[in-house]
Amino acid sequence: MKEICTSVKKKDHDAKIQGRAVYVGDYERTDRGEPILVGKLLRSNIARARVSSVTVPPLPNGYCYVNADDVPGDNNVNIVLDDTPVFCRETVEYIGEPIGMVVGPNEEEVDRILGAIEVAYEPLPPVIELRTAKEFFFEYEYGHGDVVRAFAEADKVYDEEFETGYQDQTYLETQSMMAEPEGDGIYVHGSLQCAYYVHGAVMRAMGMGPDQVRIFQDVTGGGFGGKEAYPSILACQVAVAAHKAQAPVRCVFDRREDLEFTSKRHPSLCRYRAAVKDGRVTALECDVLFNAGAYSTLSAVVLQRGIISAPGVYHIENVHVRGRAAKTNTTPSGAYRGFGAPQTFFAVEMLMSHIAQDRGEDSIDFKERQLVSQGDMTSTEGRYHFPVPLRAMLDEVDAACDLRRKHRAYAQPQSGRYRRGIGMSAVFHGSGFTGSAERDMIRAVAKLRKYRDGTVEVLASNGDIGQGVRTTFPKIVAHELNLPLERVFYQHPDTARVPDSGPTVASRSLMIVGELLRRAAIKLRACWVDGEEQEVEEHYREPDFMIPFYIDRFQGDAYATYAWTVNAVEVEVDTYTGISRVLGAYGSFDVGTPIDYHIVLGQMEGGFLQGLGYSSIEKMDYDNNGKIWNHSFTDYLVPTTLDVPNMVAMLHVEEYPDGPYGAKGAGELPLVGAAPAYVEAVEQALGGSGVHRLNHVPFTPEDTLLELIKEVK
Amino acid sequence: MVNGYAPTSLQEALTIRAAHAVIPYAGGTDLMVQGRKGVFLFLNKIDELRRVTVDDDYIRIGAGVTFTEAIAHPDVPALMKEAVSGIAAPAIRNAGTFGGNLGNASDKADSVLIEYVSDALIRLQSITGERLVPTDQFILSRGVNALHDDELIVEVLLPRAAFDAQYSYLKVGGRNALAISHIAFAGLYDSEGGRVSRLSAAVIADAGTVLRFRDLEQQLVGLSVDDARQQKEIFLSAFGERIVLGRGRVSGEYRKAVSLNLLRDFLDRFLG
Repeated sequence: MKEICTSVKKKDHDAKIQGRAVYVGDYERTDRGEPILVGKLLRSNIARARVSSVTVPPLPNGYCYVNADDVPGDNNVNIVLDDTPVFCRETVEYIGEPIGMVVGPNEEEVDRILGAIEVAYEPLPPVIELRTAKEFFFEYEYGHGDVVRAFAEADKVYDEEFETGYQDQTYLETQSMMAEPEGDGIYVHGSLQCAYYVHGAVMRAMGMGPDQVRIFQDVTGGGFGGKEAYPSILACQVAVAAHKAQAPVRCVFDRREDLEFTSKRHPSLCRYRAAVKDGRVTALECDVLFNAGAYSTLSAVVLQRGIISAPGVYHIENVHVRGRAAKTNTTPSGAYRGFGAPQTFFAVEMLMSHIAQDRGEDSIDFKERQLVSQGDMTSTEGRYHFPVPLRAMLDEVDAACDLRRKHRAYAQPQSGRYRRGIGMSAVFHGSGFTGSAERDMIRAVAKLRKYRDGTVEVLASNGDIGQGVRTTFPKIVAHELNLPLERVFYQHPDTARVPDSGPTVASRSLMIVGELLRRAAIKLRACWVDGEEQEVEEHYREPDFMIPFYIDRFQGDAYATYAWTVNAVEVEVDTYTGISRVLGAYGSFDVGTPIDYHIVLGQMEGGFLQGLGYSSIEKMDYDNNGKIWNHSFTDYLVPTTLDVPNMVAMLHVEEYPDGPYGAKGAGELPLVGAAPAYVEAVEQALGGSGVHRLNHVPFTPEDTLLELIKEVK
Repeated sequence: MVNGYAPTSLQEALTIRAAHAVIPYAGGTDLMVQGRKGVFLFLNKIDELRRVTVDDDYIRIGAGVTFTEAIAHPDVPALMKEAVSGIAAPAIRNAGTFGGNLGNASDKADSVLIEYVSDALIRLQSITGERLVPTDQFILSRGVNALHDDELIVEVLLPRAAFDAQYSYLKVGGRNALAISHIAFAGLYDSEGGRVSRLSAAVIADAGTVLRFRDLEQQLVGLSVDDARQQKEIFLSAFGERIVLGRGRVSGEYRKAVSLNLLRDFLDRFLG
């Protein structure tokens, strides 16, 4: 490992461990000493309706009701499209949609007023089920080769459907934002990932110029994608409320609101058809359907990543992929670590395993034979420009858990109460934004400011949400400037002080912005003058090797490079209870050079555990009215450390020349491959796909037991 | 601001309980989560409630004994230790008490299952006297128990003979920690001279109360082990018919199937 990999104490460690870190919910008063009003949302309790009237009771002094009429600018939140309203228009489109906000000094009184407001609805027929949805926000299609011919010439054709459920980010800190009127402008701060996304959204809703709007990220208790777009909506709502009240307004969601009404991973329904000839998949047709919910939010980009990943890590000559994001009258789906890829990787990995089993072949061999290699074409006719280490990683995982031998042994018929299985997955995660968005849309800028005392401040807009950029950015700069780490610092982003280095998403911060900072540090080193205040700036440059990507055709290099992982999960199924005990979870992860060994390892373990939760117990669903019923931590369970006591995360380093010291994207990768490895393991324990063909997640103990009951019948 | 009384003796607590409308508060692990408003009667400073003692017939666990204390105590039976070890996580076990588990009358309380299966008695006290109530008469339905407004839960009396028997126990929750039981099973078995001398089986299955069917058990008790084995299928099928489950966190079909699997495993183990 390089010197830069050596772990350091995180810059925010002490403040967080000692309870000194100030989250937005912690402010007693604003920084200027003003009292803070409580804002709470009035929400629709019906999935689709015309709102015919809202009757607000007489309000006590100091209280006000805020709705769409109070929006000074545009009542549309800028995300990808602008269809999400700040407060509802004439209709509400899902249960929980904000109709208005009650604002005042006392929380109990605000609750009382909310309870006394009468909303009259004219119900409209909602679309609840994904399968019956007829309206699509986005429809994409791409492919290459001659799919029709390959199917015609196939030895055998496989046709299967795969389904995945919601997954909630369950960050420790719920969605929370605060707005303070400042002169003719507005200051909005809180729990968020993307300060400049919020900046753009608030400008539009408030009808203000860039200098009138200031956004600051408070200490943020986790995001996992959940604070990519949602904070823009809540920021607009509190900004409008603060503007009307002419006083600071803060809205902190309770856990139930957060679980029920904020964005989560898109449920999916994927139909895959594969043509197999001479022991290889010669053609693949993927029909990918995501449940976007009531508004489009980030569904376009989530779907893009999902369908680009749809054919998996296999070299397949003929591919046709269709992707659609359906509108339903349910909570809008959004970003969650993995961003569309866990859904399609689940489908393709399970399908490959099922084909192999049908052929009587070990699925690990079947998959390994068809893995892509460096120089191969990607699903979108780009290239894998850099080494593809999957075969070596498979060997590493095999060495760690005796994967190949166990996989064969457990495939033999088992009897008795406890039965074992082991599953394997191989996946990638494209590092950074899809296509040429970095070059065309984000155009990241990062700065370093050197002060007279020789300390250096990083100026960038990427928020630390636990992934450690407050530590790793300064580490890079200190390394290049040969300074002790204490002399380089990075505050939470404030749009009044920092340039737009892009959002904190897509596993991009370290790879893209970290590299800008490395170059900036080299620049500063060259012009360093003791005792002077100096500033240097770097702009994003697309690497020369990129094959231009055309989003209209899904053609070219969707990603400059990829992070890779091979996972294995070993389970023991108790056939009396359906419970699958995870005996071990093993992963080899290639995220390039780890800029901090412990930080990266923590990311790998945490993401892997989230992926196992997604696979097994994180069940969230809505009823026939579109109401999510798992809205507490009693009913929405995420795994604890006791659920996967034996987890082995290993790093395999393939350095990426355009990332700092060889670093690639890290954040999302570890979640993506867990589900197919887990479900394949459970399936094997139950006797394999010839007996029980498993095709959905979460696959719960109840699902297992119902499969076994089916077997008996 | 939390209002309440913090007596240091049981007599003082009973006096307050009789005179005021108070909510008895032991570990607070439910009341705090519920955010209940009201005047509390804090019971955690009363030493008399925090003892485990043993007499000729009973192991007596004070209502204020925490689960962590019980796990560490040499006189608490292994089955009870196993059951309360599965409660939530260490922080909750450090605060949660036997009295509290009975007080909130949840049909999924892990310690109460063991009280059901072992025919434990609950000792209730007021300034005017005391009552000893069998567990299944104390818990009336989900969230409702037989405690009078002037009474406090003082002790759980576990019959020693019951814990000399062999047992089966398994909790099935949504995950390995911090999980409410979807199903939990406890069974006690003993034989004497080739005859079944004790057989009791209790199940948590989100059924409103713990399920236990004494009349079915009595059909096996007293039989020779061989005869009892012959009756196994009849017993299982009769037990199955009594498990009528409504909607819950997991389906009734699942809860019933798991309950019967665990019951069958218990019978197989001891009757063959």
